[in-house]
Amino acid sequence: MAPPKTYRCEAIILGYSPLGEADLLVTMYAREQGKIRAVGKGARRSTSKLVGHLEPLTVVRMSMVNGRSMDIISQAEVVESFAALKEDLTAISKGLYLSELVDGFGSEDIANPPLFQLMIQTLRAVQADSASDMPLRAFEFHLLQVSGLMPELYHCVECRQELEPNAHRFSPNVGGTLCLECNPDDAHLRPLSLRALKVLRLFDRSSIAEACKLSIDDGLADELKSLLSTTVGYWLGKEIRSNSFLERLHKESLPEVYI
Amino acid sequence: MSSENIPGAAPSLSRLVQELNRLPGIGPKSAQRLAYYIIRLPDDEAYALADAVTSVKQNIVFCADCQNLTDASPCPICADPRRDRSILCVVEDPLDVLAMERTRSYRGLYHVLHGVISPINGIGPDQLRLKELFNRLAEPELTELVVATNPTLEGEATAMYIRRHQSREDLRITHLARGLPVGGSLEYSDETTLTRAFQGRQEL
Ligand SMILES: [Zn+2]
Ligand SMILES: [Zn+2]
Repeated sequence: MAPPKTYRCEAIILGYSPLGEADLLVTMYAREQGKIRAVGKGARRSTSKLVGHLEPLTVVRMSMVNGRSMDIISQAEVVESFAALKEDLTAISKGLYLSELVDGFGSEDIANPPLFQLMIQTLRAVQADSASDMPLRAFEFHLLQVSGLMPELYHCVECRQELEPNAHRFSPNVGGTLCLECNPDDAHLRPLSLRALKVLRLFDRSSIAEACKLSIDDGLADELKSLLSTTVGYWLGKEIRSNSFLERLHKESLPEVYI
Repeated sequence: MSSENIPGAAPSLSRLVQELNRLPGIGPKSAQRLAYYIIRLPDDEAYALADAVTSVKQNIVFCADCQNLTDASPCPICADPRRDRSILCVVEDPLDVLAMERTRSYRGLYHVLHGVISPINGIGPDQLRLKELFNRLAEPELTELVVATNPTLEGEATAMYIRRHQSREDLRITHLARGLPVGGSLEYSDETTLTRAFQGRQEL
């Protein structure tokens, strides 16, 4: 019998659930492998050498062994712990929102290194400024882009005319922006202000870090949030569960202290 | 798994296997092993098991004070006049109370949340016994709240949420020390644990 195949990977931990007596079933997104679900044997015992290395929102370098049904994590070493982010409740809830989306958009066995990079860069931006929602908006936009779902922002998706500097309409269903002349029968069609279109185009040209320098008013922030989260939710095909806790914290908006 | 999955097995046996298979950590193979074990049990032992399941469902209630599972509310710990009412320890689940009680070093009261905030699983503050906790914090005798959620990301997030939402300025809020487990090793510790263990160092 051939020895089991081993490989190394670098991944961001998205989440886990308990498995059996003391194991963890870990979901992660690996730079070179895409989404992986693997078993951390004994990882729930406080003396396990894996304990503390497999918390969500941690970048880990791992040695893996191909198992019969699922791979086994044999060693793990933390590369980036996002320790400051994890001391801030708002930042954690934003990080978990990113996790849920990467879990939803990432596929097993299909590598997408830009998606891995996007997650890391956005976590760094959230860690740097947890009060700003700009990292989430830029993330949602780039998530569509690296998933091959980039919305059209320069030409009307119906008549292909170049878009005038004007208010337009937008629909995830038809793949982006429409001019005011075109009127397809589409339940997802919504207005798109010129200001919002400009921000989307800026996202298209900028890195996450650059996009986060942009400061916008609350009205525009609300429009972008609604537009991008609707579009991401449309492609995800299900409710984004972590959104409700994020909304709740936002509403409560109390000063935060870490114990 | 459905009863058709066990060819040749009696329907009542298949049903037992199926029910056991629902239990956490019990796969189809273990469920079959347990079912055959139960069949071979003397009648009185098998009925005692069935009776224990029935009685736990009929008698167990949540303690009106600490929310732990109990036969009668208030539970024996909340009803015990020797317990120190100035200190309250918040834990994730009833097994954590048992673990703390085994240490015999804590004499205060408990509060069981029955879970942690887990946004990805749709578990928010309203799904936990947090409202009951915040009500108890108004108790004037209470001077210290020990937040003993697990040192996981979700456990810490829950601790931060409690810290944020309690309004008594005179309440001391603590959490359990983070550090190296007995039998653990420096070499395999993650950096967060090591940093916190270093911060919490003590006189030798
Ligand atoms: Zn058009
Ligand atoms: Zn009680």
